[in-house]
Amino acid sequence: MSAFGAEQMSCPEVLASIVFIIEDAIDQVERPDEIRSHIDLCPQCARQLEHELLTHTIVMDALRRSCVEKAPASLYESIHNQLINNQFFGAHESTEVVTTYSMTEISIEIDEFGNVEHHEIQIEQTHVQQINREQGLPEEKP
Amino acid sequence: MTSKDLVLESAADRTLRFERDALVFMDQLYAAALRYTKNPEDARDLVQDTYIKAFTSFHQFEEGTNLRAWLYRVLTTTFINSYRKKQRQPLIANNELEDWQIDRAQSHTSDLGKSAEVEALENLPDSDIKNALQELPDEFRMAVYLADVEGFSYKEIAEIIEVPAGTVMSRLHRGRKLLREKLADYARDLGYTVDQGKKDSSEKGVTP
Repeated sequence: MSAFGAEQMSCPEVLASIVFIIEDAIDQVERPDEIRSHIDLCPQCARQLEHELLTHTIVMDALRRSCVEKAPASLYESIHNQLINNQFFGAHESTEVVTTYSMTEISIEIDEFGNVEHHEIQIEQTHVQQINREQGLPEEKP
Repeated sequence: MTSKDLVLESAADRTLRFERDALVFMDQLYAAALRYTKNPEDARDLVQDTYIKAFTSFHQFEEGTNLRAWLYRVLTTTFINSYRKKQRQPLIANNELEDWQIDRAQSHTSDLGKSAEVEALENLPDSDIKNALQELPDEFRMAVYLADVEGFSYKEIAEIIEVPAGTVMSRLHRGRKLLREKLADYARDLGYTVDQGKKDSSEKGVTP
């Protein structure tokens, strides 16, 4: 900090805003104009900033180069299979409504000789209804 | 695709559309998952969980919005909510993150010296770079990864990690600084020294 008056922003303050410069968000800093004019007038800060930006680019390139990965082939297969399953059972949660009707027919016949015939017939009917409804994850809003 | 079309879309069509649009990001998501979880088994499971979760809410997803960012959001929240808990990593206290402005005076530059630092960074093997990244605490690693590898803006990262934009800035600032320090450590192990860097910038910094 040399050729600046006391009201000016200090070099460390300027250099602390580098993350905002890299993110192209310098206007998010409190006094962006002062930072700009400081960099214009202070060769040390300008040099330091240049080095920071260069190094940032180099680190970024190194990261991108070294972080390239290929997912295992079996992963695609296993996700595909699970998606097909979920298509029917997961993504659309289906509810089965089982209704059972039961009826018992009782017939008693008495003939002219006084013989009693007792019949019981049970009739059962089961009705299965599939109810499909959309089922999402409420906490995941796209 | 209009909302009417979405209603009429069959389950099979939706699966096809999801596979067409979302599965192209599998390698990228797997790479991120590897850096998040640090091991291939967990990375695999994390990617699978991510796709199944994403598919479950895919019918709410409108074409044209940023599917890639949304998938990263599902991946990142799934990692934070389940895998991280499993790995029992301590959270960084929030106040610890917010007081970063105190260390304003510190710039990124490591004590390796400018030219040696640049040269070392250009020559470090991939394994050292991955290791250095993995040594960062989760919060810093995720922010730096999303910004510097995936190229998301700090605003997008705020939505992906679900933290305020200011917190993202602070994590990027400290995470990048920490990464540079760790990379400098690896460079030193390779023989790059402060002295060589300062004496003569044109001289090769690597000892034979």
